[in-house]
Amino acid sequence: MQIEKMGIPTAPMVTIAFKDLALTNAAKRGMPHERICFTPHPVWGKTDEQMYAYLEGNDPVTGKPLMKEVIGALTNPLTPDDSKSGTINPPTGAPTFVGSADELQQQFLDNGMSDFMPVILPTREKVDAMLKGTSHKPDEVVGKMTPARGAFPEWSYTVEQVAVNAVMAGATPDYFPLLLAIGSTGISALFSSTNSLVSAAVINGPIRDKLQMNYGIGAMGPFNQANAVIGRAWTLMSKNLDGGGVAGETYMGSQGNVINYNNLIIPENEKDSPWTPFHVQRGFKPEENIISFFFGFNITQGQGARGLGMKPIPHYHEAMSANLAPFASMFGALFIVDPLVAKGLGDLGFKTKENIADWLQKNTLVSVKDVKTMLFSGLPRGPEAANLTDDMMIPKWPRADSYQFVVCGGQTNPYHQLANMSYRLSVSIDKWV
Amino acid sequence: MNRRNLLTMLGMSPVALATVPTLAAKEKKPDQKKSTVTSGGPKLEVLNPRGLPPPITLIPMAKRLDTLDGKTIYLVSDGFPGADAFLNQISIWFKKNMPSVTTVYRLKAGGFADDDPKLMAELKDKANGVIMAIGH
Repeated sequence: MQIEKMGIPTAPMVTIAFKDLALTNAAKRGMPHERICFTPHPVWGKTDEQMYAYLEGNDPVTGKPLMKEVIGALTNPLTPDDSKSGTINPPTGAPTFVGSADELQQQFLDNGMSDFMPVILPTREKVDAMLKGTSHKPDEVVGKMTPARGAFPEWSYTVEQVAVNAVMAGATPDYFPLLLAIGSTGISALFSSTNSLVSAAVINGPIRDKLQMNYGIGAMGPFNQANAVIGRAWTLMSKNLDGGGVAGETYMGSQGNVINYNNLIIPENEKDSPWTPFHVQRGFKPEENIISFFFGFNITQGQGARGLGMKPIPHYHEAMSANLAPFASMFGALFIVDPLVAKGLGDLGFKTKENIADWLQKNTLVSVKDVKTMLFSGLPRGPEAANLTDDMMIPKWPRADSYQFVVCGGQTNPYHQLANMSYRLSVSIDKWV
Repeated sequence: MNRRNLLTMLGMSPVALATVPTLAAKEKKPDQKKSTVTSGGPKLEVLNPRGLPPPITLIPMAKRLDTLDGKTIYLVSDGFPGADAFLNQISIWFKKNMPSVTTVYRLKAGGFADDDPKLMAELKDKANGVIMAIGH
C-alpha cells in the first residue's frame, strides 16, 4: 500500500490462508480495492517445482490463471472506485444494547465480544460502580491498541470502555486501576501472528495483597478470583478495544493457545523469595505497584531435566540450561521459579537473579551448525560473524538480560516453569488509582 | 480481477469492506438462531464494550501500466519464510513467458510491518511496478 502511495502499481501476492485478513485489512487501511492476488497455501516448505506449478495454476479466489491476474493487477486500468479519496468513519455499533439477559448474552456471543463464555452484563449501574475504582474521568483516553502494531490500525478507548470490559470479566472496582494500567500500554494479549503467541503479566507491590492475589499454591491456576479475572479482562479488552481476536481476520494463530483465555498472570511471591523483586530490579521502589509485561511463544515445565536428581541440592541451573534446548532465540527466557528453587539456587551460590542469568548466558551454548537449522534463531551479526564455523559453540542468547526470573509458588515442591518469552516493559498501577 | 465480483463472492459488499465489522453487519437476531435463547425476563440496557477505530482515509491507487513489455518489475519479499524462493520462481516465469520484462529481487529490511526507506527510494527511482510477496 505504501508503494501504491508512491505512484507505483503493485500486485501484492498473498496465500489463500490469509484471504480474509488481506481483504479486510486492505479496506481498513484505506485501499478496499487493492489488487491482491492469491496463491495456494503454503509457499513455505514447497519445492521450486511446486511453487512454479502455483504460478502456472489458478488464483484460488478467482479461479483464473494466477500470472494473468498478476499482470492484470499491474496493467488493468483503474476504475472510479480504485481512485477514490476521502474519509470514512467506521461504525462500531450502538452505544448501548437492550434485551433480556439471555438475549444480551447471545448478542455478545454472536458479535464476538466475549471469550465465548458467559459474561457479566455491563449495565450502567455496574459500569458506574467500576468507575469508582479510579479517580480518572470516564471519557479520558487510556491508550491505543492494535492486534499487531504496524499491520492493523490502532483503536483508542476511554476509561469507561475499559470499565465495560472489566465488568464483563467479573472484576471488582479494586482491580480497575490494574486493568487501566494494562490498557495504558496498548499491549494486546491476542497478538495476531500465525505463531499462536501468548502474553504474561508479572505483578509486584502491595496491591497483590490488597487484591488478595494468589502467589502461593496454584498461583497460575484457576484458584483465585483476582488472578483469574485480571487475566480474563485483558483478553476481553484485547478483543473489544482494538477489534482483535477475530480468527482469520485479526487473529491468525494457526492452532491458537489455551493461555489466551486468561493469559499468564504472575504475582511475584516477594515474601518468600530470597531475591530482589522483579519491579525493584527495574528501578522501582518496593512499595510501588507495578505490572510488567512479557510476550512470546509458550510456557513449559521444568521437571524431568538433567540435574534435578542431584543430591543434596538439585542442580537447578543445569536443569534450566537443559530446558532451554527447544527455545527459539527470537524471544528470551522467563523462568518462574518456586521460592524453594530460588532458595536452592542461593545455596548453590546464585545469590541474585543476575547471578543465575549470567551463568545461564555463559553456559547455555548451541552449535553454529544447529543455529543455522533452527527457526526463529539467528547467528550473531557484526564483525565476529565472519569467523563463525559450524563446529563452534556460541551462547544461545548474546546477553544475560535475555534471562528473566520471577519467584512464584507455594513451596510444595522445588519446581520451576519456563516460558520462551521476552520482557517488554513495566508500568505503574498507582497512576491509575 | 473483478474486485466487486470477488467481494460479492466473499459475502461482503465493497462498502461493507471499507468499514470495520459492525454490529449491524454481523448481528444475528436471537429469534433467527436455533438456540435456547428466550426473550423472557426483564429488559436490560448494557454498554457497548468496543473501542473506537480511527477514521479510514481512502488511498487512491497508482495509475496502471499500459503494458509490462520492456518494464522493470521489482519482486519484493517482506521476509516471511519461502517468499524469496517463490519470487525467484516468478522471475523464472517472466524469463520464460515474458522475456522483455526485467525483474529485480529485493528483501525488505526489518519486520513485515517495518518501513525500509532505502528500498522505497530505490523503488521510486527504478521500479515501473512491484510484485510483493506477503506472508507464508
